[in-house]
Amino acid sequence: MSMEASELQDLSDDADYAASQQQGSASMMRCDSSKRSSPSEHEDAELIYLKDNVAIHPTQFASERISGRLKLTKQDSILFLSWIPYKGQSSNAKLSEKDRSLYTITAVPFTEVRSIKRHTPAFGWQYVIVVQSSGLAHPPLYFYNGGVREFLAIVKQHVFLARSAEDASVFLVNDFQSPLQRTLSSLELPSSLPVASGQSTYPSDGGSLNENQGRTSSDVGNRVSSLSQYGLRKHKSHDPTRDLSIHLLEKFSLVTKFARETTTQLFSENNGFGSADRRWNNQPVHSYSDKLSNIAEEKHHEISHSYSENDLLKDEDISNDIDVPADPLEFNKLSLVWGKPRQPQMGSKEFTAFLDSEGRVVESKALRERVFYGGIEHQLRREVWPFLLGYYAYDLTYAEREYLRSVKRMEYATLKQQWQSISPEQAKRFTKYRERKGLIDKDVVRTDRAFEYYEGDDNLNVNSMRDILLTYSFYNFDLGYCQGMSDYLSPILFVMGDESESFWCFVALMERLGPNFNRDQNGMHTQLFALSKLVELLDSPLHNYFKQNDCLNYFFCFRWILIQFKREFEYEKTMQLWEVLWTHYLSEHLHLYVCVAILKRFRSKIIGEQMDFDTLLKFINELSGHIDLDSTIRDAEALCICAGENGAASIPPGTPPSLPLDEGILYPQEDDVL
Amino acid sequence: MSYAYLFKYIIIGDTGVGKSCLLLQFTDKRFQPVHDLTIGVEFGARMITIDNKPIKLQIWDTAGQESFRSITRSYYRGAAGALLVYDITRRETFNHLASWLEDARQHANANMTIMLIGNKCDLAHRRAVSTEEGEQFAKEHGLIFMEASAKTAQNVEEAFIKTAATIYKKIQDGVFDVSNESYGIKVGYGGIPGPSGGRDGSTSQGGGCCG
Ligand SMILES: Nc1nc2c(ncn2[C@@H]2O[C@H](COP(=O)(O)OP(=O)(O)O)[C@@H](O)[C@H]2O)c(=O)[nH]1
Ligand SMILES: [Mg+2]
Repeated sequence: MSMEASELQDLSDDADYAASQQQGSASMMRCDSSKRSSPSEHEDAELIYLKDNVAIHPTQFASERISGRLKLTKQDSILFLSWIPYKGQSSNAKLSEKDRSLYTITAVPFTEVRSIKRHTPAFGWQYVIVVQSSGLAHPPLYFYNGGVREFLAIVKQHVFLARSAEDASVFLVNDFQSPLQRTLSSLELPSSLPVASGQSTYPSDGGSLNENQGRTSSDVGNRVSSLSQYGLRKHKSHDPTRDLSIHLLEKFSLVTKFARETTTQLFSENNGFGSADRRWNNQPVHSYSDKLSNIAEEKHHEISHSYSENDLLKDEDISNDIDVPADPLEFNKLSLVWGKPRQPQMGSKEFTAFLDSEGRVVESKALRERVFYGGIEHQLRREVWPFLLGYYAYDLTYAEREYLRSVKRMEYATLKQQWQSISPEQAKRFTKYRERKGLIDKDVVRTDRAFEYYEGDDNLNVNSMRDILLTYSFYNFDLGYCQGMSDYLSPILFVMGDESESFWCFVALMERLGPNFNRDQNGMHTQLFALSKLVELLDSPLHNYFKQNDCLNYFFCFRWILIQFKREFEYEKTMQLWEVLWTHYLSEHLHLYVCVAILKRFRSKIIGEQMDFDTLLKFINELSGHIDLDSTIRDAEALCICAGENGAASIPPGTPPSLPLDEGILYPQEDDVL
Repeated sequence: MSYAYLFKYIIIGDTGVGKSCLLLQFTDKRFQPVHDLTIGVEFGARMITIDNKPIKLQIWDTAGQESFRSITRSYYRGAAGALLVYDITRRETFNHLASWLEDARQHANANMTIMLIGNKCDLAHRRAVSTEEGEQFAKEHGLIFMEASAKTAQNVEEAFIKTAATIYKKIQDGVFDVSNESYGIKVGYGGIPGPSGGRDGSTSQGGGCCG
């Protein structure tokens, strides 16, 4: 593990890093020669700080990292932060200019910044995460040349920066509300510091370096004109996401080739739910549970129903006082890809056909594809889930798997011994253990107890669940136990039966989703951020609606993501969804597309009723049990295909279930001081 | 059903103190020991009558675990009342009250009415926090206080209604501008708005509070 860590730190091997260094110096020269060359709104901004080789990692692939320049500028005594990717970086041909502009941070005023999270691991790159007041978090900015402290020290000279009382790595910006925090944060920041280490420069003439910005806007201009080809209104704003929507439209013609089935409507929100909307809108709004029973009624019709264009128009006329902006993907509805219809679940015979004579899975991708499109018959799940979760490697033979199970069984017993051997005397002096045990004891009796398998007093399966969670909290002491874990474990134990096997499957799942339970909620925030980027890409009017209504933090999707829809579907349906998600077939992040699919289905209701954050949260919560799984998976599939590479690039590196970037420290406990 | 006012409540406190059970007892009049632990937030609602006026309570029941605090904070916005719950049989849940209160003071509006509830008072034989300590804490921090049991329903009704009555009184006294929804109060269709546009609530501290 420490080997990996030191490799991570050794940048000299990293082609991208080398390229970015060259790039850095090259663009620096260009900048020098073109000072003040482009008129922009920041013409008379004073340059406070400039740092080259600050990068964003859109995916886990080194070749897709985007290097750029971080700047602090000041205008009218307001500090602005911007990050502009370098142009035409050769090392990563895969990234288009559009991908770059997606991440560009153009002059965010610090009045709109809530906090900066600082991450300075002992190994690996330092980065900061800038969170805006809206709750929107920008992806991590990696300082390839170091200098995060220095950056924060500079910021501190211009805005009030206070260390958060809850998380020492978070600095709150202009947070004057809490005197407590203010005193806490007498900030051990160096007030004077060694100037210009590495490649940072502090121009004394206040010259602004707008070269990149200038180019970016002209590029946007070009693309905006291509927009009119599609008969859409011209937009003045230089909103990179708008370009992406166009990019998507361009893509549709390609996408059509993927289309296997065009018999049913993909984006059915106007279909099944239209009539319900109409009825609801004629009533004063009191209780969503009334509405939900309506949803339940309407649900049957949802798939079979097909409205004509006229119906759609009529529906909109009647139901919406509010002008709901059209779904950009509906624009070209007829050429859209539909998600493939769900196949029957894979049975034993079919599964055996994927195995060679010794029991290896020959073509893991084909197996994953099969599961993706149809799921697994229940009795077979205990054989296939360990593969999907990564507990069994695909190339193990029957005999090797048998051996693995026995080794792992002994290992589990040893781990379990660790807490079982704690005497009452020892426990008295082991607060952390007592707390965890207390929490787990309380929670296992509140997990799926209405479900037969866990029903009744003194249920042995409930005991197994407790033992597994407690053992896990020793196996991964840093992560420990967090609420939501029992929701994941419950179906796993139900499927696997065996305690040791369940434990190891759970371990494998937590390798992917453990960050959901990080104390600082970092894993959750990255996913919510990625979700916001995907909605921006796939439904910019909806994104704008959320933006205007202070809903950009996407907290209303918190439960969906934390436990991957466990509370939204009935037990069997949850297992069906999970095995689809776990295939990582189209994307590791299909769950985020599932979120988008559900949001899109209800977009006209959300916008039409002008839901605010509270109403939206309640509405989303109460969708539980009223979402049709199959059509949602199909929508998610279609959205994922539509979004293509742009979708993948919207998801920051290390977003769970992707493995974390700095694998040296899996669950960093940040108690270092600045 | 129409209401004169709608009040938003939030229930906070450590995990396992009985927040969800209190809510269920209040909305459904039953004690259900086997229910799922709360993830994120859950909602309940009930109509009550104060001063002959129908008032709808919309209640947000939150998850209590430490790591969810940052999410929970986003739920305070626009709450008119809060039930801050501890478990009289578990001392640590009482010890954590100060930090819950800190959160509430920071993220809710200053006029939010806070009711402190010492729950599980049916388990008197396992009591770890005395009634006097609860009273003392409430007094020091300007909270209303009650011991209750979600199991026997003792004081559950009273706690929710007392809180509403206090909020209602604040409306009558003109503490809130009821047309401003950030106070967690909505005027209903059948409602007769009380005197509104009183003094600026955001500058005054709630309930004669903290020293
Ligand atoms: N004896 C007793 N048990 C209670 C009472 N309220 C809740 N409980 C128990 O405490 C546990 C936690 O309750 P819950 O409402 O889920 O706590 P929450 O995490 O605060 O929502 C449940 O298993 C209940 O059975 C009460 O008033 N008396
Ligand atoms: Mg609860």
